[in-house]
Formats: sequence, structure tokens, C-alpha cells
Amino acid sequence: MMRAPTSFSHLTWVLPCAALIAVGAAWAAQEHVVAQKNKSFSVKKLTIKAGDSVKFVNEDSFAHNVFSLSAAKSFDLGSFGNGGNKTITFDKPGKVEVECAVHPDMRMDIEVTP
Amino acid sequence: MTQHLTRWARAGAVLAAMIVAASAFAQTTPKNSQGSLLPKDSVDAATFRGGLVFANYCVTCHGMNADGNGRAARLYNPKPANLRMSDKNDAYFGLIVRRGGAAMGRSEFMPSWEAELTNEQITDLVAYLRSINAAKN
Repeated sequence: MMRAPTSFSHLTWVLPCAALIAVGAAWAAQEHVVAQKNKSFSVKKLTIKAGDSVKFVNEDSFAHNVFSLSAAKSFDLGSFGNGGNKTITFDKPGKVEVECAVHPDMRMDIEVTP
Repeated sequence: MTQHLTRWARAGAVLAAMIVAASAFAQTTPKNSQGSLLPKDSVDAATFRGGLVFANYCVTCHGMNADGNGRAARLYNPKPANLRMSDKNDAYFGLIVRRGGAAMGRSEFMPSWEAELTNEQITDLVAYLRSINAAKN
């Protein structure tokens, strides 16, 4: 009986394992939702795991912005109006202070744990 | 902790803007014999109020000195505009503040302030920007 080439036989178990790992990682990572309402974030502090994402949803009738200058994650998601949303993934552990450029008093902290 | 520092920094910015505007006012406004208050509709009053608007809403990106070096400037390429050297006129300032950068073919990260600021605040802000502008128009 002929044996399949070695590389092919490896693929038969490497690929399913990789798929399982990918599915597991995707399953493990969570998406958290934070609303922007009445010129404030719906939570003042959020603890998430590295790899999780946060979806910011604007529930006000005017535009909001989401940005951070923290070392753990610096970003600006831009401005978006009522019903709009932006999602960002936090890869590294650390404290991320999130602000709204349009409303200087709008702030929240995201603690990203390993 | 950083948040507190940021708040103190913003409070400091507002205070500094008030001091700058007040000193400019003191130097430029003649006082009559009765020491009357600054007329609400005067350019100096608008400049003073505009400085407060700037300190509260614009310093994050454009910086205390309006030179485009705010604490958030490092997020953007191109950098926020150096408003001291801008060659734009007042109408343009008003439009970009109202509509935001994207609508004016500029940075998408410059928000539209139409829903946040009143017409008077925008007019005051433009007066302040004109007062600090050093470009030859």
C-alpha cells in the first residue's frame, strides 16, 4: 500500500488543529458593548481580557468621538453620529483611558488583563 | 491619576486662557470714567469668550498655543493645524468648526462642532483665532 506523502499526512492533523485553535481563540475573545448616552459612557470602568474588543455605540442624538492616548493603546476612532458605532480590539494588557474629543468630560477606563 | 492630571491640565488651560484674554483686554480696552464693563458684543468680549471655548474644546489637538501641538497631536498624520499660522479667513474658520474637517476636504479627525457649540460660541472662537493669528492675510 502506498503511503501518502509526509507533508500531506501532516496537513491532515495540522489543519484541523489550527482551525480548532483559531475557533477557540475567537470563542474566547469577547466583544463588550459600551453605550455613549447623555454625554457619558455607560460604564466608568470596564475590565476585559487582552484580545477582547469593545464596541462603542452612540445613543445620543449628536456626534461622539472615541480616542485614547494611553501607552497600552493609543487610537482615535473618529466621530460618529446617532446609532453609529465603532469597534476596537485591545491586544495588550494595561490601563486604557478612553475619552471623547467632542465632550471633554466624557471619560472611562478600560483595564485590559492578560 | 492621569485623569486627574488631565483635568487639572485642562483647568489650568482654561485659567491660562482667561488670564491671557483678561490681560489682552486690560491692555486694549480703554476704560471710561465710570469704569464700565466690557460691552457684550465687542470684539474684545468675543475674543475673551472664544479663548475659553478654545481652552475647553480645542486644546486637546491644537494645543495651548494653537500651534497644532496638543497632547493628542501624535495620533494624527498630518498633524492638527497650526492655527497661529493659518492663512484661512474667518468664514473658513467658521465653516470648518461647524462642518468638521472631512466636509472641508481636511482631516476626518477634526469633528463637526455644530451640535456642541452655539452660534455665539463659534463666532467667539473665530474671534479668538483671529486674535492669535500671525499669518499675513
